[in-house]
Amino acid sequence: MRRSKALSKYVVIGIVAILIVIAAVAAFLMQAPPTEEKPTASPTPAPTKVELTGNFETDVVEVGKALEANGISEVTYSVWAAGDPNSVIRVLGIVEAANRINKIWSDNNVNVEINIETRFEREFMPLFEEFLSKQPTGQASDFLANSYIYISTLAEEGYILDITDYVSKYSELVNDFYPTIFEAVKWKGRIYALPQDTEARPLYFRKDVAACAGLDLTGLADKVRNGEFTWSDVYNWAKQAKESGCAEWGVIHRKGSAHPDLIQFIYAFGGRLYNPDTGKLVIDKEAIYKWLYVEWKMARDGLIPENMMEWDWGTQIHPTTVHGKTLIFIGGTWHWTEWQTRSYYTDPTTGEPRGLTAEEVKEFFYYTLFPAGESGKDPVTLSQPFVWVINSRAGERNPKYDTLKELYHELAFLILVKASDPDINAIHSIISSHLPVRKASAQLMADEDWVNRLKNLELDLSDEVKDQISEIVAATVNPINTEFLANVSYMLDYTHIAPIHPLYPKLADILKDAVDMVLRNQKDPAAAVQYIIDTVNADPDLAAEVEVIGEIPSGWSYP
Amino acid sequence: MKYKLKDFFKKKKYESLIFILPALILIILFYILPVALSVYISFTPLKNWNLDKYLGTVIGTRNYERFFYMLQHDPITRNVFLTTIVFIGITLAINVLGGLLLALATYFVSEKFSTAFRTLWLLPRMAPIAVYSLVWYYFFHGSNIGTLNSFLMYIGLIKEPISWGHDIIPWGPWSIIIFVNGLVGVSFGMIVFTSAISNIPKELVIAARVDGASNWQISTRIFIPLMKWHILYVTTWQLLSLLTTYAHIFLLVQWGLVSKQYGTTWSLYIYQIAFTGRTDQGLAAAAGVILVIVGGILGYITLRILGFEKMITKPRGDI
Repeated sequence: MRRSKALSKYVVIGIVAILIVIAAVAAFLMQAPPTEEKPTASPTPAPTKVELTGNFETDVVEVGKALEANGISEVTYSVWAAGDPNSVIRVLGIVEAANRINKIWSDNNVNVEINIETRFEREFMPLFEEFLSKQPTGQASDFLANSYIYISTLAEEGYILDITDYVSKYSELVNDFYPTIFEAVKWKGRIYALPQDTEARPLYFRKDVAACAGLDLTGLADKVRNGEFTWSDVYNWAKQAKESGCAEWGVIHRKGSAHPDLIQFIYAFGGRLYNPDTGKLVIDKEAIYKWLYVEWKMARDGLIPENMMEWDWGTQIHPTTVHGKTLIFIGGTWHWTEWQTRSYYTDPTTGEPRGLTAEEVKEFFYYTLFPAGESGKDPVTLSQPFVWVINSRAGERNPKYDTLKELYHELAFLILVKASDPDINAIHSIISSHLPVRKASAQLMADEDWVNRLKNLELDLSDEVKDQISEIVAATVNPINTEFLANVSYMLDYTHIAPIHPLYPKLADILKDAVDMVLRNQKDPAAAVQYIIDTVNADPDLAAEVEVIGEIPSGWSYP
Repeated sequence: MKYKLKDFFKKKKYESLIFILPALILIILFYILPVALSVYISFTPLKNWNLDKYLGTVIGTRNYERFFYMLQHDPITRNVFLTTIVFIGITLAINVLGGLLLALATYFVSEKFSTAFRTLWLLPRMAPIAVYSLVWYYFFHGSNIGTLNSFLMYIGLIKEPISWGHDIIPWGPWSIIIFVNGLVGVSFGMIVFTSAISNIPKELVIAARVDGASNWQISTRIFIPLMKWHILYVTTWQLLSLLTTYAHIFLLVQWGLVSKQYGTTWSLYIYQIAFTGRTDQGLAAAAGVILVIVGGILGYITLRILGFEKMITKPRGDI
């Protein structure tokens, strides 16, 4: 008797424990996506899509009315973006677009409101990887502003909306975008995004260091432009700057990846990365060898840090540049205003960290195209257009998504159209020194009166956005900066874009490793080129998409 | 007489089953099922997390073929493999022998000191991983802001800062990751062995002392033989743990402190293939399955070598 009592006590404990485990597991599994509201029976079926006409106000009002007829009063979207600290318009542009649409709706008695959640990060690659991993589970944002190079991957996987049909109604907008930039939003002939910004990558020269070393900057930009001043000359200048004790380094550049800045070397040596006839990526042995040789030689002679790829932007790269410890920085147009809004500079009199003033930036820096690799080649620059894409599940968190999917997608597209308003793009270009993507924006930027109104925040912007950009505007909107943007726009005539191919990011990753190895002298340039080829070939899938052309030149010397 | 599985189904052993059932359910749900899923994924072309598109397709052993191809031809994969072997071998030795040494050493000194000393050794394990990694990131940093570099330059041993994780290939990054992990791992063995030693009857030690035994003799002749179970446990546990751990190394590689090729172990490599760069989950799953198989084999070998079978067999009363 006693024994069966003991047994039943254990049985009870065991059963209770099992029930607790089952309950916990069931609770975990029941975190399903929001349940659908039961559709209320209505006399006439409410519209679930709207035919776009190309007239923005008509379209957005129709979409709003359709949403209202379906019982929707609030629509929430989220936007993720990444970039330098001044590029907040990559998220605030969507916020402003939503506010403008809300205003149109309230003016037209449509009782629906759009709500935008934002997230802004520093590095664009990890953000893309996060979007990639979260999209299938419905946890990714509805809008993403990121580099165009990811469009092919996202489109191939069906993660972003094909907006070709919507865009076809808005031909006036399309025609206002610069054609080369608009090519970046296409994949296999379909359109998957709208351009958000672009930029150029100048070579920045420190005027004070050059003067100290006896290097004459007069007319240098033109000499670079017509191919007279090449990377051989860069080497000699860097050497002189260092040997005269005027600078610690000759050249510094970005960290962490070869794309996009360092890819310029390939184009500067007349090479290519992509074969449009076969649609395959290209390893141009000669161009890559010369590029790696330049980096290797400069590192051996102490002109570029061996651990350049490891440097930190905020504590090393930018402070070194703004303090004139390097003659040359391979930078981007957006750095011009980043140096003004971020405190990379330690004031020599007070010892306090602060941003440079626009006057100081102009006083310190001279800028040219990326020089030709050697004589007979052309100078280049590289643009990496940023684009806004729409998640193919955009609006999924909103009610009745299954039936109203088309409406949510159309609304998302209309938000993008509004975010492409000339003034929004112009504001972004000025405060973050990127280049405009459409002609109407360029016109606004050239309008002094408009720029002054921007400076005083007297533009028609929602208060929410004004508050968030007021500090940046105060620091960056002034004639010196707009003059800079006007001065660099010629670079777009020389610009290249890195290949649009789903496997390009993987190739770029391998190139980055090669650069790091030659800088640290872990491999010499020829071995590094072989390493790139071996690594590509080691992955059968990648090897199938890459062609290897050319030969390592014999008897080529540098400088 | 060894307990056989069918004994469990005799009425007598039902109680044991009920006791282990909750844990069994958890293991099935959170380990067996995911492993089964991973094995399945390794036979699909899953990439970019596109479950809808790829999970339904089975491509046979193609991912395994790719992985073995990379092992043969890709210098990075080869170096990761080499790094894994060196890392596990040396760190395991440090963890087990170091833990043993600490446990024995603190036995022979005063209680107060040894408690404080052991607590100190627990600190690396208690610190949040990111904080812990940050400490060593700055310690081994390759520029003159690195603690080690500034100290060595201050005492005049070196003129220029050395990039420990990149310049001294491969032992630079290897030493760093072994050191960082070893410091954490030693405390596990130390705790288990300390507990084991404290359970050994004091009479044995007193008797040995009376016979004139030295500390060394007591350690090697009395303690270690009596800690066979514990040494087996710690060795097997640490071996399998080192095979799969990557949290501490992950941050050091991520922040660029160590060379990617020589700072990445197999488990971290799987993470990198799945979550970054390649985002090729099928390939990562294949590499993961191979890792599990290797782990199983190594665990089995360890148990054999250290006499697990002998230990669990009841002694025969007739010998």
